[in-house]
Amino acid sequence: MRLLIEFQKTERVRHLGLLDMQRTMQRALRRSHLPVQYSKGFNPHMNMSFASALSSGIPGDAEILDVSLAEPVTEEEALHALKEALPPAMPVTRVRLVDDRFKKMGARLEAAAYRFDLHSDPDTAVALLDVLPRFLAEKEIMALRKSKSAERMVDIRPMIFRLEGEISKNGAVLQATVSFTEPATLKPTLLLESLTRYAGLEIPSVFIRRTGLLGRDSSGTLVPLFDMP
Amino acid sequence: MSEPAGNAKRKNSNNQELLKEDNGIVFDLEIEKLLDLVQKPARYMGGELNSIQRDFEHTSFRYCFGFPDVYEVGMSHVGSRILYDIINKRPDTLCERVFMPWVDMADLMRERKIPLFSLETRHPVRDFDILGITLQYEMSYTNILEILDLSGIPIHSEDRTWADPIIIAGGPCAFNPEPLHHFIDAFSLGDGEVSTLETIEVVERCKKEGKSRTECLYELSQLNGVYVPSLYEASYHNDGTLADFRPLRAGVPETIRKNMVADLDAAEYPENVIVPYMEIVHDRINIEVLRGCTRGCRFCQAGMIYRPVRERSMQHILDLAQKLVDNTGYEEITLSSLSTGDYSCLPQLAHEMMEKFESQRVSLSLPSLRLDSELKATLEETQRVRKTSLTYAMEAGTQRLRDVINKGITEEDLMSSVTDAFAGGWSGIKLYFMFGLPTETTEDLDGIAALAGKVVRQYFATPKEVRARGLRVNCSASCFVPKPFTPFQWEAQNSLEQFKEKQDYLCHIMHIKGVEFNWHTPQVSFLEAVFARGDRRTADVLETAWRNGCRFDGWSDQFRFETWMNAFEACGIDPSFYANRKREKGELFPWSFIDAGVTEEFLWREHELAMQAKVTPDCRRGCHGCGLKRFEGACRS
Repeated sequence: MRLLIEFQKTERVRHLGLLDMQRTMQRALRRSHLPVQYSKGFNPHMNMSFASALSSGIPGDAEILDVSLAEPVTEEEALHALKEALPPAMPVTRVRLVDDRFKKMGARLEAAAYRFDLHSDPDTAVALLDVLPRFLAEKEIMALRKSKSAERMVDIRPMIFRLEGEISKNGAVLQATVSFTEPATLKPTLLLESLTRYAGLEIPSVFIRRTGLLGRDSSGTLVPLFDMP
Repeated sequence: MSEPAGNAKRKNSNNQELLKEDNGIVFDLEIEKLLDLVQKPARYMGGELNSIQRDFEHTSFRYCFGFPDVYEVGMSHVGSRILYDIINKRPDTLCERVFMPWVDMADLMRERKIPLFSLETRHPVRDFDILGITLQYEMSYTNILEILDLSGIPIHSEDRTWADPIIIAGGPCAFNPEPLHHFIDAFSLGDGEVSTLETIEVVERCKKEGKSRTECLYELSQLNGVYVPSLYEASYHNDGTLADFRPLRAGVPETIRKNMVADLDAAEYPENVIVPYMEIVHDRINIEVLRGCTRGCRFCQAGMIYRPVRERSMQHILDLAQKLVDNTGYEEITLSSLSTGDYSCLPQLAHEMMEKFESQRVSLSLPSLRLDSELKATLEETQRVRKTSLTYAMEAGTQRLRDVINKGITEEDLMSSVTDAFAGGWSGIKLYFMFGLPTETTEDLDGIAALAGKVVRQYFATPKEVRARGLRVNCSASCFVPKPFTPFQWEAQNSLEQFKEKQDYLCHIMHIKGVEFNWHTPQVSFLEAVFARGDRRTADVLETAWRNGCRFDGWSDQFRFETWMNAFEACGIDPSFYANRKREKGELFPWSFIDAGVTEEFLWREHELAMQAKVTPDCRRGCHGCGLKRFEGACRS
């Protein structure tokens, strides 16, 4: 049996990196006394994985941890234990029990949703929002994608599934849904860079948060990863 | 130095720059922006499990606990965690933490005029009633000035008003407080469990009664173990030594006697400790099993000032261990003290802990294990969980010199222990030595190489089928620093030239296959020696060096020896007067007004025995009259 845990990485702890998150979750699971399955071998470790690693600096509203259990528990028990055990800055929101054969969350990930809080003067905000329709109407948007090994120009337009914005009291808010698969992942920073360059603006001060992780149902529609059948 | 950061006004809670307010934590946009720019932002994040988050505005007394080094170092200190717990248990009181921001953060805060803030609620340090600072090592002193300045608190005690917290410092270095006399309002000497609450009561009452800050400091001076430097005056002989040291006001005590907790089981110990998100230096449950040490090593200040030995009962330790495991989720427990091997029922304790925690997947590690303790049985216990490297603090290379320093360990002890260890599957050994010890000769340095060589040969003499692969003998030699309240407080430190010469010699003879030799820069030890035994005049040097950019002096990449030497010159002070001068019997020391428990007569007697290379056995086998018997209920042996 596996336990899917949906939790928040709040602003307070947004600077945690993957290793910190792993350590924090392992300790929380130990405190929860849930029957987590350990790997065999000389140095046993918990069988758990995040659906997606979230970069240091970015909070998340609905992150997912996938944990293997050695014994069955109920969802109520698990939720109660995790509410007690997780740090207040990383609260659990939902849990779901799935069969061991249920495809790993990470492997089902298709897209991620982000919210950009831009802090800028009103003129910049308006200019940026004005350019949005034209930006999305482009057939091709070339951007320099950097990976550990190489840098190359890629067309990011097909990776943008949704991009909208509105004026806010600090500047503007953008909401985006972008591709998040092994061959085609669009980083939120690269999207923002491309958009601001397209508008001929400097990149304003920004806070980015990941608002959701998405998969595709049998009809190909994007749905929250946690709720996938 | 640029403009002090504290002059900047903090954005208040109706300012539009605020991101959001949650649980009393203020998410100040300016702070959030800073965190995106610095290395390891998790250092400044707070919000850890078990950290105490109170309503700042509606709590009547606010204590800020400051550790003058980075988060991951400070969070590893057990004493700070004890006090954090005790203060937060006091009704209508909160204790929050602040650590020294790393240089990138400190510079940005200054540049952007963001005052230093507490981790829990991000309130400016200046808004607290007391700022308590722990003095763990001399090389953190410039960081204290940096913390005050970043907080916008005047660095000199006399320039502060009630708009500033009362600055109280404690910890081992408070036993010679004089180099910091100008910067700290009051020092608290000895165990802090009870005295910290006493200082809070006095400050709280004085504020309520509308007393002046000066009156409050006087009232603090009336508490046992509290030294208020502004109430004393020092004068000097022509040769530079201290002539006189006296209180300036009637009623201020001439002698300050340290505070002492007689019964550790009755003392508070946290059952719920903060679990950091980022990895810290000692990232595990740490249980203090005993305080003090009766070995009587003559170089060791901790062994003298933390007397007498007090143990926590086994049942209490086991209870604490279970509660801490449940409350933290840590997977490792350390039993800590100056000498855990001396805990009277260690083998039984280790055994019971193993029994209890193995099924919970919690491992036990025993640091600073004495090799002459009942090691063998304990080794077999720890082996069941994990094979970390074993550490042996030999301190000196020959038996003669170990007798001088009263390090009661022989070559046979070491060899029998490593023989067992190699046969038991360990392959990592650490050996600690000092050089520059009193009466040291070339023969003693040769002894270091000889011991390391013997350990290597013992490994290869262990049958291949039995021993683990990958021998690692890590041998490190540090420069001896004479400390106050030790039998070597009269001794000269080796000059930098002597250290250099000995170090070169050691590097030459330590080319042994299988041995890695490490050494420390003598310049740092030299400065440590100056401030360990410094008087009031060294405070000016500290301030000058800090104004010229010195901070994080304990970090080799930040240490600026040139700047320090220029500061001494600018102040007209000769550092060798403090570090390299042999003192005569009867000299009045800057710390002579402190009663640390051990008497000067005892220390001098030990000094004379040292010069004759005569050992003094562990006092549990017979009292040597160190002076602790004067403390009621303290000494049980």
